[in-house]
Amino acid sequence: MFRYYLKLGTLSIRANPMLSALMVAAIAVGIGACMTIFTVRHVMSGNPIESKNDQLYHVQVDNWNPDDPYEEPDGAPVQVTYLDAKALFDAGRAFRQTTSFKTSRVVQPDGDDARPYQEDARATTADFFPMFDVPFLYGAGWDRASDETQDHVVVLSRELNEKLFGGEDSVGRTLMLNDEAYRVSGVLDTWNPVPKYYDVNNNPFEAPARLFLPFSLAIAGSFDNNGNTSCWKPVEEGSGREGFLASECIWIQMWVELQNASARQDYMNFLNAYVEEQKLLGRFPRPLNNHLRTPSEWMKYNEVVDEDVDVLLGLAILFLVVCLLNTIGLLLAKAMRRAKDTSLRRALGASRAELFKQHVIEAGMIGVAGGALGVVMTWFGLRGIESIFIEYEFMQHLVRMDWSMVTLAVVLAIVSALGAALYPTWRTCNITPASYLRLQ
Amino acid sequence: MLNMKNVSKVYRTDTVETHALREFSLIVEEGEFVSVTGPSGSGKTTFLNIAGLLEDLTDGAYELDGRDISKLNDKERSRVRNEKIGFIFQSFNLIPELNIFDNVDVPLRYRGFNADERKRRIEQSIEMVGLGSRMQHLPAQLSGGQQQRVAIARALAGEPRFLLADEPTGNLDSQMADSVLDLLAEINAAGTTIIMVTHELGLADRARRNIFVRDGQVSDNAPELHLASMAAG
Amino acid sequence: MEFGPIWRAMMRNKGGYLLIALQIAVTMAVMVNAFAIMQERSIKMSRPSGIDDANTFSLVSVGFKPDMDAKTLVQEDLDLLRGLPGVVNAVETNSFPLRQGGWSEGLHREPGVGKSVSSSAIYFVDEHGLDTFALNLVDGQNFTPDQVSWDSDSPDFWPATVIVTQALAEDLFPDHEGSYVGKTFWFNDENPANIVGVVERMQAPWPTWTGVERSMLVPLRRESEFARYVIRTEPGYRDELMVQVEELLSGSNKDRIIRGLGSAEEARKLSYLGDAAMIKILSFIVVLLTAITGLGIVGLASFSVARRTRQIGIRRALGATKPAIIRYFMLENFLVSSVGVVAGGVLAIGLNIVMVQAFALTPLAWYVIPVAMIVLWVVGQAAVAGPARRASAISPAIATRSI
Repeated sequence: MFRYYLKLGTLSIRANPMLSALMVAAIAVGIGACMTIFTVRHVMSGNPIESKNDQLYHVQVDNWNPDDPYEEPDGAPVQVTYLDAKALFDAGRAFRQTTSFKTSRVVQPDGDDARPYQEDARATTADFFPMFDVPFLYGAGWDRASDETQDHVVVLSRELNEKLFGGEDSVGRTLMLNDEAYRVSGVLDTWNPVPKYYDVNNNPFEAPARLFLPFSLAIAGSFDNNGNTSCWKPVEEGSGREGFLASECIWIQMWVELQNASARQDYMNFLNAYVEEQKLLGRFPRPLNNHLRTPSEWMKYNEVVDEDVDVLLGLAILFLVVCLLNTIGLLLAKAMRRAKDTSLRRALGASRAELFKQHVIEAGMIGVAGGALGVVMTWFGLRGIESIFIEYEFMQHLVRMDWSMVTLAVVLAIVSALGAALYPTWRTCNITPASYLRLQ
Repeated sequence: MLNMKNVSKVYRTDTVETHALREFSLIVEEGEFVSVTGPSGSGKTTFLNIAGLLEDLTDGAYELDGRDISKLNDKERSRVRNEKIGFIFQSFNLIPELNIFDNVDVPLRYRGFNADERKRRIEQSIEMVGLGSRMQHLPAQLSGGQQQRVAIARALAGEPRFLLADEPTGNLDSQMADSVLDLLAEINAAGTTIIMVTHELGLADRARRNIFVRDGQVSDNAPELHLASMAAG
Repeated sequence: MEFGPIWRAMMRNKGGYLLIALQIAVTMAVMVNAFAIMQERSIKMSRPSGIDDANTFSLVSVGFKPDMDAKTLVQEDLDLLRGLPGVVNAVETNSFPLRQGGWSEGLHREPGVGKSVSSSAIYFVDEHGLDTFALNLVDGQNFTPDQVSWDSDSPDFWPATVIVTQALAEDLFPDHEGSYVGKTFWFNDENPANIVGVVERMQAPWPTWTGVERSMLVPLRRESEFARYVIRTEPGYRDELMVQVEELLSGSNKDRIIRGLGSAEEARKLSYLGDAAMIKILSFIVVLLTAITGLGIVGLASFSVARRTRQIGIRRALGATKPAIIRYFMLENFLVSSVGVVAGGVLAIGLNIVMVQAFALTPLAWYVIPVAMIVLWVVGQAAVAGPARRASAISPAIATRSI
């Protein structure tokens, strides 16, 4: 019977080409609008480190103003001070740990004519690479010893390695940064986590750094912090760089890797003990307020997804509702027009269940067509968004449709079409067999 | 075969209550050719709808082929219509988008026959009504008489025990009407029970038994009385 | 032709009409709220920054040799820039309005680090800052050269004089009347700042910050290998000077690089990219939505005409004129639209309340609702016009035809 109903559906669609086209278009446009926004939201709310989500934790300790929380009502600061970053890192109580901040270096390519240029850099520690599963094309990150000895080692992104060394294996080669010689220890493979979860405080939707170098070296060399710095207490006057490092200003991201729940509990206990100890020294005037948040919790806490996207998604869903109301109306009109046909089929022995099947299959066909066209509409919608954001180059990474979105679009279209068909089909099935047979 | 006892049918709207059938009783035996006549509004169409399971009855008992119809659910009623009853309508009621072959196919699809069985039956019944060369035509390409023959083929393809005809010649000229009636007589001779609703006395005479309906009840009066009633109405 | 019979006829077939009314209602709810958002964004985007956006550009000099004499280099650069034909003035500073990166400080009315009473964006400048940014000084005066101090690269020193925006002054001293010049506030426990001038307006670098109108000029020069120059040109000279200045500075010293060249207009555009996008996307949605609803009405009305062909023929045979038939369908649509827009008004306000609560949206202006009602009425009438004309063309002879 399924194939019979497919045939009847085809005939019915062909008999009302304008109406059927209008229904398919309405569903496609509704799906297109919804899926365009949903795709962007899906990418923005993604978790690129899902596989280690239960092992990685962002560290928060509350060193803030006793009279004025970092964020009302009792939010802890979103970064840590150098004092705490250093003390917690040196304690080494986690399986892996990394402290890092956003900086930049001037790259001086070989050759007298080559102009130097600035590149984004991340000052970080050896564990950064294994913790975040960073893929390497050549070589590896530096070893933990280099974190101590302030070695001039550097890891390059794949793109920068292509620019500087033509994509060759540059491990062991020398690179001049701000007039200092660095040894290349590794080259990353393509790595572009969206969102940039390891540092959501400084624009989660930007490309990762192209240079990675030791944190201790950056501290010793007074590299600029290109990310946010927040202070609640002034740095001691005239104390210079030393004073800043000893201040209560926050500007460093700290992550730890803890392999299981008990390790997490142990680390939390350690953090609490650390803060209690610091309280005795006159720091941490606020109540104990330490947090270990997984990447997904951390991104949610920082509201990585722009509110505008949610507003648009809400309106797009209402848009789909309008399109479906439209489809319901058209299906109903069509059902009324076919009342005689329905009535006759009933007389010839079709049960309500059979009629229901017939109409649901026909609606499903409209849904499949609407879904397929909806995928195309979504593609155009995403291109539209991309062109609106032409000045924001990173947008291209937020408008990518994956197979899960394509599948969702088609499923949503079919479900919508079936949902829209419910009321008209119910009306159809309730047509009494005798009612239209004598009509001319 | 068909046994109606004290059947009533009441149509209710917010303000009006219409008694279309009152205490209607009728027995039709297997193999009969019965005509049902009566003035407009007498209830003959309601009788046909109830006999054909197109409508529910309000009160009374209806047995078809020994089965109590009032106890059946929608699916079972649909099955009975499909297997035991064939319908022929005044306005033919062919599906305009489907060709002759597919029109006759409709009830067989709901019957659940396999493709070979359907094909055999469709071809056989279309041959029988003399339209074997027109199977791929659409209804609009046929004359009224031919369309009614297709409708008869559709009614017969499932080999029903009962044929219910509602003014089968109402839209046909007399020559075509005669040939359709000849076809019905032939079918009846082959063993199919036929009940035909009509207001034309000439047609009623072709049946072996005549039922006259008035005010929702079977009238005991003889045919000469319907002449008077027809003249009056 | 009256409303009564049309309305009663409609009530006998509620389902279909209810669907159109509902569709119009939801369309209106989306339309009204989308418009409220667009309006809010466009007001936000049209706020003046306070500086001369059209004739201002900026670039950054980054020294990368460890032993660089930053102080001398910056002074040489500024002398060079200020002497260029077409340049009105130039200043070394840390940021400029709507750049989306900058410095902010919590401020206090009393010494000490307790809860701050206000906060402000900080622009470090010399005595050329006021003129370079083309600010409108409404009270007090500009810095004198001797009020400008030099500091190392650490945020631990604050000069004693500042120029604040009107908005900042009002936020700091809400109960004060008269001139703000001479008033004092504290950066922290021991750094008082004395207001010497008040400017009408100068926005902070962050367009989404609620305190975007609060900023101040601080007469401080910081000795750093990183220097941002902001340059104001004579009208019409900006684009050629941008190219010229980049070349000049790049060539003048091999120990530094020049980057971040861009105009204030470009920075403004980037700042409001999201808002501009919202406006574009929402207008697109509203247009599409109206089109879908209009097409839906056309489709349903066409059906209704087809289904009532015989009825219309009978009416015509009984003496209805063509305009009367057209009027019938127009009135019918008007009634459905009316139910739709009234329900839509309620729905729109409900949705707006939800959005105001969930997304801190500005509540919608009352007049948007009647305007949307009229728009949808017009769309409905326009959509039904075609099918109604077709209905009026039905021949009265249909009535006598049996099939």
